[in-house]
Amino acid sequence: MNEMAISLAQVCCVADGRALLDVEALSIRHGERVAIVGHNGAGKSTLLRLLTGFMPAAHGRVDVLGRDLSGSPSARELRALRSEVGQIHQGLHLVGRLSAQENVLIGSLGRVTGWRSWVRYFPANEVARAAAALHAVGLLARATTRADKLSGGERQKVAIARLLVQQPKLILADEPTAALDPAAAGEVCHRLAQAARQATLISVVHNPSLLPLLADRVIGLKSGRIAFDLPLAAVDDQKLSHLYRPDDAAPAGPWQVPEAAGALCFREGTTRLKNGSYQQAALEEKP
Amino acid sequence: MSVHALTSHVVHRFSGRLGFLGLTLIYALLVAACLGTLAREDELSLGRHPLANLVKTVGEFAHPSFLDVWFGNPNLEYKSDDGSVLRVENRPEVEADYLAGLGRATWTTIRIATLGSLLGALLALPLAVLTARNLAAPKPLAWLAKGVLDIARSIHTLVFGLVLVGIVGLGPTAGILAIGLHSMGTYGKLFAEAIESLDRAAIDAVRSVGATPDQVFFNAVWPAVLPQFVSSHLYVWEFNIRDSTILGLIGAGGLGLLITEATSLFQWGRLSTVLIVIVLMVSAFDALSRRIRQALS
Repeated sequence: MNEMAISLAQVCCVADGRALLDVEALSIRHGERVAIVGHNGAGKSTLLRLLTGFMPAAHGRVDVLGRDLSGSPSARELRALRSEVGQIHQGLHLVGRLSAQENVLIGSLGRVTGWRSWVRYFPANEVARAAAALHAVGLLARATTRADKLSGGERQKVAIARLLVQQPKLILADEPTAALDPAAAGEVCHRLAQAARQATLISVVHNPSLLPLLADRVIGLKSGRIAFDLPLAAVDDQKLSHLYRPDDAAPAGPWQVPEAAGALCFREGTTRLKNGSYQQAALEEKP
Repeated sequence: MSVHALTSHVVHRFSGRLGFLGLTLIYALLVAACLGTLAREDELSLGRHPLANLVKTVGEFAHPSFLDVWFGNPNLEYKSDDGSVLRVENRPEVEADYLAGLGRATWTTIRIATLGSLLGALLALPLAVLTARNLAAPKPLAWLAKGVLDIARSIHTLVFGLVLVGIVGLGPTAGILAIGLHSMGTYGKLFAEAIESLDRAAIDAVRSVGATPDQVFFNAVWPAVLPQFVSSHLYVWEFNIRDSTILGLIGAGGLGLLITEATSLFQWGRLSTVLIVIVLMVSAFDALSRRIRQALS
């Protein structure tokens, strides 16, 4: 089995004639904990959507958990992949009208099939697992409360309990603490890190103080490209502020995309490219 | 589209405090024009003895006929002018018979409203799916469905009833079909709105654990849409209970038939009884459906 959970090679994602993501090479080993940082529109969410097949790659090679996503994978293949990938998103990502426990049991839909999953008549072992998961995040008392009656922090903890039931090999967390106060954010990150002990964890984080909780490796994205890829200890304020500075020239580095690849990527037809180099086209992309 | 552009243009013209004043002025002018023209055509008269008529009618209304079941004269004699007895009537018995008939008519009205509402909901469901914008059905089909719903909504139940009585004959069938066809339009609009307000995040949440389309439907779409469907169904059903009382006017059976009968014989006491039954029935159904709808939200 491939020891890489994720490997990307010369991947480019295009939407509306804009390059959202342009990655020369990126590999993440099983069990790694990686944080992705960058300004709004830098391509963080696009990267996560790419990894679950919600966003197709215009070209390049995408390998997630040993599955090749670069072709056009069938719906069945995507479902098989998604059942192994747990996701936590910013804001609401629960079914509001179902109870906390039912939302947690949604994590088991990959294993429970047929009419049982239609009427949400889950087997006893899955129900027990869900109760244990709710207990682990400290929400067992709220099990029967409807998800849209829970607070923001509680919702994210329900989503973490869902991960515990789903038992994914890879966890993608897209700003899991975006709408939370600092205390709740800290607790949610702590629970998330616990839930991800058996898995690879990739999280998008804005708050630098949460980085140590969730990551050993930090990838900085800028304008859809990797600006740096460093161990946590090597990341300092200067690197982060450089990343968030709006209209800076793209940092030169070993991941600099050659113009040929850029042109290939933009072949879908943007008018921008005709007047200038790829470099300029990338810079025009506003955060 | 152009109508929308035009209205938005006009509305934009009339924004701000001065614009509101202008709109108020236009409204006042319209009211004045309606009143003025009617007055000039001499159509605003109240009849010859409005006050006396009012007192008489109110007096008869204040004595609903069902009271006679208990307080009526069992030997009411109808006499001719010379004093000879024409007929003796047992008032309690007659009114008890009338009440029994009223009960049957109420049951007919409820049956018309219930079956008509169900028919309307079933007809509307596929059309709502076609018109809901977020489901992106093929354009021509969506337009066709929207057209059918708009036409159904804009034609009054009574008009449908009159046409259908000509086709299927007198009786509850015409009423059921009329209610069904008209409320199909209302249902279609409400259902489409319920589908359009679907929470994308909930669907993505279920999709992201690798759920199959049927699992996504039953775990994200159905729980979100079902309460809204039930709520709109109760609402329209409740409306139809009221609506179907009038359908008897055109021969579709039920309470409306008794209303026509009472009004054409000037039996205000009996009309009063019928209206009391309608008010009780409608408010009972109202209270019940409000409770259920609250519990569903």
